[in-house]
Formats: sequence, C-alpha cells, structure tokens
Amino acid sequence: MDLASDEYASHTAYDELLDRDLQPRSAARPLFDYLNSLDEQELTARRQAVDATIMAMGITFTIYSESGNIDRAWPFDPIPRVMARSEWERIQAGLKQRLSALNLFINDLYNEQRIIKEGVFPAEVLEESANFRPQCVGITPRFGVWAHICGTDLVRDRDGTVYVLEDNLRVPSGVSYMLENRQIMKRIFPEVFRTTNILPVDDYPTQLYQTLAALSPRPGEQPVIAVLTPGIYNSAYFEHSYLAQQMGAYLVEGSDLIVGSDDVVYMKNIAGLERVDVIYRRIDDAFLDPEVFNPDSQLGVRGLMRAWRNGKVGIANAPGAGVADDKVVYSFVPQMIRYYLNEEPILANVPSYLCMYDEQRDFVLANLDKLVVKPANESGGYGMIIGPRATAEERAQFAELIRANPRNYMAQPTLDISTAPTLIDGKLAPRHLDLRPFVLQSDKLYATTGGLTRVALRKGSLVVNSSQGGGSKDTWIVEEGEQ
Amino acid sequence: MLARAAENLYWMARYLERVENTARLINSTTHVLLDLPLGATFGWANLVEAAGLDELFQQNYPQADEQAIMRFLIEDVRNPSSILSCVQYARENTRTLREVLPAEMWERINSLYLYLRENAAIACRSRRDRYIVLNNIIEQRHAIVGLVSGTMAHDLAYQIIKLGRSVERADMTTRILDLNSAIQFPSDSVLNETLTERIWMSTLNSLSAYQTYRRLISMHVRRGDVIDFLIHDMRFPRSVEHCLSEIESCLKLMPRSQQLLQLAIRIRHELSRHSTKNLSDEALHQYLDQLQAKLAEVHNTLTRHYFHAYHDGDRPDKKSQSEIEFAE
Repeated sequence: MDLASDEYASHTAYDELLDRDLQPRSAARPLFDYLNSLDEQELTARRQAVDATIMAMGITFTIYSESGNIDRAWPFDPIPRVMARSEWERIQAGLKQRLSALNLFINDLYNEQRIIKEGVFPAEVLEESANFRPQCVGITPRFGVWAHICGTDLVRDRDGTVYVLEDNLRVPSGVSYMLENRQIMKRIFPEVFRTTNILPVDDYPTQLYQTLAALSPRPGEQPVIAVLTPGIYNSAYFEHSYLAQQMGAYLVEGSDLIVGSDDVVYMKNIAGLERVDVIYRRIDDAFLDPEVFNPDSQLGVRGLMRAWRNGKVGIANAPGAGVADDKVVYSFVPQMIRYYLNEEPILANVPSYLCMYDEQRDFVLANLDKLVVKPANESGGYGMIIGPRATAEERAQFAELIRANPRNYMAQPTLDISTAPTLIDGKLAPRHLDLRPFVLQSDKLYATTGGLTRVALRKGSLVVNSSQGGGSKDTWIVEEGEQ
Repeated sequence: MLARAAENLYWMARYLERVENTARLINSTTHVLLDLPLGATFGWANLVEAAGLDELFQQNYPQADEQAIMRFLIEDVRNPSSILSCVQYARENTRTLREVLPAEMWERINSLYLYLRENAAIACRSRRDRYIVLNNIIEQRHAIVGLVSGTMAHDLAYQIIKLGRSVERADMTTRILDLNSAIQFPSDSVLNETLTERIWMSTLNSLSAYQTYRRLISMHVRRGDVIDFLIHDMRFPRSVEHCLSEIESCLKLMPRSQQLLQLAIRIRHELSRHSTKNLSDEALHQYLDQLQAKLAEVHNTLTRHYFHAYHDGDRPDKKSQSEIEFAE
C-alpha cells in the first residue's frame, strides 16, 4: 500500500486495519479502496478541512495550567478504526454481561454481602476500599442498578485477543466525542459512507434519556431531567452541555438546585421552583452533598442524599457506585460473572496479580521490570509504573510503595497494544489505541455501537489521554458481505 | 427555564445587539467624516463618551485619535463593550446555553468569534479594511438573528432573547442620537445647513433608518423630525418606543411579570406624551440621559425579579413558597 509509512516495516503489534502483509483486513477493504483513490495532497486537504470543522464546531476540551485554562481543539485523526459487526456483537454481549454482574455486585455489597459471606470476594478488599460509601448501606435503588452509565476501556493484544482494561463507573466521559467524531466524518468524507455499510452511533442520546427517565420517581409523567455539571471550567464541560442539549435536559450547577424540607429537589427557574426527577450527575460522590460528604463542597446540593434515599429523585450513577471502579475489585469481575449470572465471562480480563496476597506480591516484586503496576483507585494513568520503561531506581522506589500498602496495588503484564493507521505527515503510520464503549443499564441494557477510539499520536507512545498528547478516531462497526 | 440560564441568555442577546450597533455606528461615522469640509473637526472622544466609556478609554490611551478609538471600540478586550469583548462574552454565554438554543446557534456564534479573532486587528488597519470587516460582522449577526427567529421555538427562551435585544437596542438608539454634539463646525461656514442635514442623515444611516425615514416622513432630513422619528415612530423597529412596546409584548408572555409590565407601560406612556421635536441641544442631551436612566431601571428590575430572585433567600413564587418550607 502506497500510503503506509516505513514505520510499518518493523511493526510487531496487531494492527486493526492491516494484516501482516500490510493488506487491509476484510472489514477495512472498502475504506482502503477509497483512501487509495486519494493522493497525498487530497488527504492533506481533507485533514485541513477536518481541523477547520473542529474549530467551527467548537469541539474543545480544557487543559488546566498555571497560566490559565486553555480551550484546545479536539485532536482528531481522520482515518477511522474499523471493526466487523460480527466481532463487535460478541464484545457488546460481553459488555452487557459485565455491567449486569457489576451492578449485582454493588447492590450486594451495600446490602446482604452474600459474595463475601460465601467467600468469593475477600472482606479485606472491601474494608480498604476508598470508594465504599457507608452512607449508602441498606439502599436498593430502582432495578437494583447503581452504575447506569459505564465506560469500559478495551485493548487488543498482539495475538488479537480483546481485553477489558478497566470499568469506569464513576463519571466516565468521552461519549460526546464519539458522537461528534461521526459528525465530522460525515461532513468531510461523505463519499465513503456510500461504499461501506457503517452502523449509526447516534441513538446514544435517546438511549441515555430512556435510561435516565426510567429512574424518575413519578412514572407516567414526563420526567424533568437535569445534567449536574461542576461548571464551565470543568474539562468535560463541553460534554455536559452537549448531552443536555441532545437529550433536551436541563444543564444545572449545584447552586441552581435546592432540596426542600419535603425532600424534593427543585430547580430555581424564572417562573418559580420546578421539581427535578432525575439527576445525571457529572461530579464525584465527594462533592455531591455537603450535608453528607465533603462539607466544603461548593459544587453539590445540600440535602441531595436525603432526597435520593427517600426516593424523591433518581441519581445516575448512584452515589457509591464507584466502589466497583477499583483496579483490585476489577480483578474479581470474572468471578462475579460466574457467581451472580452463572455464566462464563465473554470478555477477558487482563491477567492480574494482587499485591495483597503474599505469593502474588512476591511475584510482582521479582518481576517489576516486566509488569505494569497500578494503584487501585486512581484514574487517568496517574500513580502507576510501566516496569520495562522505568529506571532501576524508580522500580526500587515503587517496590517500597507496594510493600507499604499492598492492598492498593495490582500488576499486569505489559500488553503489546494494537495499532491502527494514523495520518502523520501525509502517510499512514501505526499508532497505539484503545476503545471505550459506553454501556447503559436501568430497566434495560444497552451498549454503544463501537465507542470512542482514543489514539496515542506520538510514535511508540501508549498514552491515549487527550491531556497528554492523545487524539481520537471515528469508530466504524461495519456490516460485511453484500453491499 | 433556569434563572441562571435566563440571565446568560439575556446577556447573550444584549452583547450580540451591541456588536451590531457598534459596528454600524463606526461605519456611519466614518462615512460622514468623509463629507466634512476642511476645518470641521470631529470630536472622536465624544464617541466613547456617548457609549459611557470615556473614563476607561482615558486610562488606557494617551490620545483620542481615530486609530486609538477604533482599537478601543473594536479589538481591545480591556473594554468590556468592544466588539471583540462582546463577541467573546456572547460565545461564553452560548457555551452554557447549548441545551436551550438551536444546535446551529453555537456554531454560528463560534464562527463569528473565530472570524473576529482573525480580523479584529485587520479592521483597525485602515478605513477600507474596517468597513469590510464590520460589514461582515453585521452580516453574520443577521444570520444569527435569522436562525433564532426561523428555527427557535417561540418559547420563554425566545422572549428573553427579545427582551435583551430590545433593552440594548433602545439604549443604543438614545446613545446614537446623543452623538451629534460631537461635531464642531467652523463657526462661519455657509455650508452649515447642508452639513447639519448630512450629519442627521448619518444618524439615520447608522440605525439603517434613512430609507424608511424618507419613505415614511420626508425627503428632507430635519433635526426635529429625525429625533421624533427615532424616539417615537412605532413603525420603525429601532425607535425607542417600538423597543419599549416589544419589551411589553415579551413581558405579557412571561410568568409573574405584572409588576415589570406596569413599569414598562408607564415608561412608554411618559415617552409618548413628551414631544421631542423642538428640544435644544442641551435639553435633548438631558432628555436622552433620563431615558437611559429609565431603561436602566427596566434592566435592573428585570435582573432582580427574574435572575437574582433567589440570591438573598428571596423566593420568587409565592405559591411555591407557601407549599414548601425550606431548609436553610
């Protein structure tokens, strides 16, 4: 293929679009027929059109720095990541299976704790959990569901196996970019949508609306839904306003809400106070209600927990749902699936070593140079060590951290994460990527068609976070066969 | 609609109206300058004074020449009423309002902002560039107005946009009327009479009113007629009385608006009773000042009543107040 960069010659990772002979995989063949019909100049022109579109659509994310907050244009790579529908459907089923088990697990933890009593899940993991909220004990939210919105990170290893890297159950973000990426592609590459049968992604806002509406304490009435944002200076503010707009919901800040002595949540409207039925909160537990959690929180609403406990308002995700968003808890998800659903897990976990167990800790300490070690409760790649890329000194320091607090650490082998062709200087170069589908659950289960593909734009880099040089791609789930 | 969102929306509408009015004012002022005879001087400083920005200007610029004034009015973000500032604020407000506005609205305002960011400095380069850039801004603003009236539900949000626009527009008309004292003629010029006509013509032009005036009032541009037209004529959408009646019609459709509506009606009645035809320059100036104060009263009452009603534990709705007892 003419467009492939020389970097592919020495390539070892699995490539999502090209096989070992640099031939397009069958799902990606129409895309490459199309790309090959464009010359380098044409590709560059489209790339510029993409940048201009992103600017005009004002798709941004915010970076915090000492010199103030900068609104950056969303870095987008115009070469989509393509997956066959047959493969996706299996993953989709796995995602739904996983979220149902996780929700059963959370509800069990806050109630009977059967899974602990029956010895499937160790009590000491729960005791040390930073995200377990004693204030939630004894509550069963509607449908027994705590995590209504889950962003699951998937990666593919060298042999083609797809692994779950983590389940984001607190306030996962990125879905607006998934939707906007598709809009950009439709504007800039309309022709290609005729040659490939690409499944649409745009039913997500409707599905999210229905998921939230099902939580309304006043069934049968048109629910009043509000997206609760920390405000315009939050890095995901774009997404908050985008989702509110797409769902026809209100975008509110904590100061816009008030809880009456009747425990009902009201919105401060110009016409007076209006009842709010469901809150899609995009702020962390700790800031949700100064009456119960962090008393200094300016972002939350006094009395919100009271309103929720008394069934006067639905909150998604439920306070306390983050207890399952923990890298040590993660390693027990396959057991949860077997325990609660009596099924075999469809999606694989990355093999994990828990430092709380002596034997596994010894293994981790002896193999630090080969492993990735992560703290249980951090997200965004903070506080972890990639053994093979660290110095001996860094590894020694990290070993001390592990010995001091073994429950807080787990380790995994370093995966050779897959790549996809990415437009770099007019050529297609392999860049590492992951995939974050979004899974919804209230009365029904739903998983997005594809998800947000995040790509590390720097050569060799594995960091896909947009704040650290990551970009994103449109994700195509395509119907193969007759067109 | 949330009180906070309503306030942002109201200000978004005001900022956008101010952008257009400032652009028009600059264009028509430049136009009339070209017709001034040698020896006539234009007090540039009065332009910022009319806008109530003279103090801020003096703090930042040593000299009130054309270039300094243009930079101040177009691209200086230290001036909260400069075109660039207003567009920036309007854009920030729109960011918080995406859920109540038509989806394209954000893109339109964002692209106006991007255009201005690229072109504000260019507009300050020469009169010719300025004319082109400002005209483009006016056009883009019109596209936004069209989008609002053509695609937005005529609901509460729409009324609030109209309110903001009308308050700003009425205020701006009084300020533009007040501007003509900025021109000093050579005292003995025989051309004074035609010149006066030219200058009032420019006033009409800066409000896009010249053609309408000629059609509805007279082929002759006379001071008294122009003042009367711009203050009283209900047929012209930028006249002060017309704007006030727009404010009334919005308020009629808004919840719990009784008190505000009475205020607006009172001001309009006072206005229509008062002839402005034969006011002296000084009396006109005072009259316009009073008018601005009344508009400010409408704005302040509106803000207190709708946007800040909850600030000091003050509940806006008696009904819900009695229904609910509030925790602290």
